[in-house]
Amino acid sequence: MSEEIIRGKVLKHDTQTRTMHWIHLLAFIILGLTGIGFYWDIAGIANIFGGPANASLVHRWTGVVFIVGPTLYILLNFDRFSRFIDTISSFSKDDFAWLKTMGGYVPFIKVEEAPPQEKYNAGQKILGGLIIIGCLLIILTGFPMWLWKDVVSSAFLALCYNVHFWTAIIMILLVAGHFFLAAIHPKSRVEFASMMLDGYIDAEITAHHNAKWFAELQKTE
Amino acid sequence: MSIFTEKVGMTRRQFLKGSGMLAVAVIVSGVFAKIGFDAFAASDEYIAQRAAGLYTLDEKMALRKSHENPEIIQIYQEFLSPGEQKYLSEKAHHLLHTKYGKDIPSFIEELKGHSGEAA
Repeated sequence: MSEEIIRGKVLKHDTQTRTMHWIHLLAFIILGLTGIGFYWDIAGIANIFGGPANASLVHRWTGVVFIVGPTLYILLNFDRFSRFIDTISSFSKDDFAWLKTMGGYVPFIKVEEAPPQEKYNAGQKILGGLIIIGCLLIILTGFPMWLWKDVVSSAFLALCYNVHFWTAIIMILLVAGHFFLAAIHPKSRVEFASMMLDGYIDAEITAHHNAKWFAELQKTE
Repeated sequence: MSIFTEKVGMTRRQFLKGSGMLAVAVIVSGVFAKIGFDAFAASDEYIAQRAAGLYTLDEKMALRKSHENPEIIQIYQEFLSPGEQKYLSEKAHHLLHTKYGKDIPSFIEELKGHSGEAA
């Protein structure tokens, strides 16, 4: 890595991506909160939404927002979606090397210099893949519970409930970890503003954390 | 200050991967939706067959209306409203009306009081 200070800003997440991320995040929080309220029968949560019946209604229609938001984004920004899928599904030697050291994020694994990464590091790539699979599972099991409960077998419905619940628990843990690394961890919390506010991040940070991607950006300059 | 931005557009590889991901999601959702709609259709078919079966059974009955049943007419004429067919007679209402909840214990006591009487 060069010692030269790189001045400037990188537009990491454009307006459409940030809008979609906000919509999906808010929908996820509402869905997670109401879902936890249903599963453990917590009256306090249901009452926030006007009682159990209204909470159920909010859960179902927020689920629709949870689907429509990213779907619209994908259809209107297919190039961005394709680049994202290409990045998170491509694993190089550097990604595996990054995973071996966990990019230096784990305190007891000492790392001099993490291997160069693309726009998303290996951990973010795995998270992206898991979020896509998790969303599909939650959506595919949610609709039978809503619309087909009277026509499908009770065994199939029970399977849907179990898959829906456990996928949601794993997703909540993944998002909690994602939030910790993106907003709290001192090494990476600068990422928070780039996704949640203006989309920009310091070029110096990008050159260090996403060296391969930054090299590509410099070529296009 | 330099502003670095991504190149717009996509390569053929990116297009194929994006399309592939979208296609997989659409196909999996489509197959799942098909299973659901088939279950709906099977359920509707079952309901239609069951309804048709019940109507067919009903059409085959010799007596299809309870107020035309000779035994019911006899019960009214001889017991519930002697000498006539008064379907809402006081005795009919009292004996045939459903009792539930807190009315049941007193009704049991009342029936016990009549147990010695001939039907």
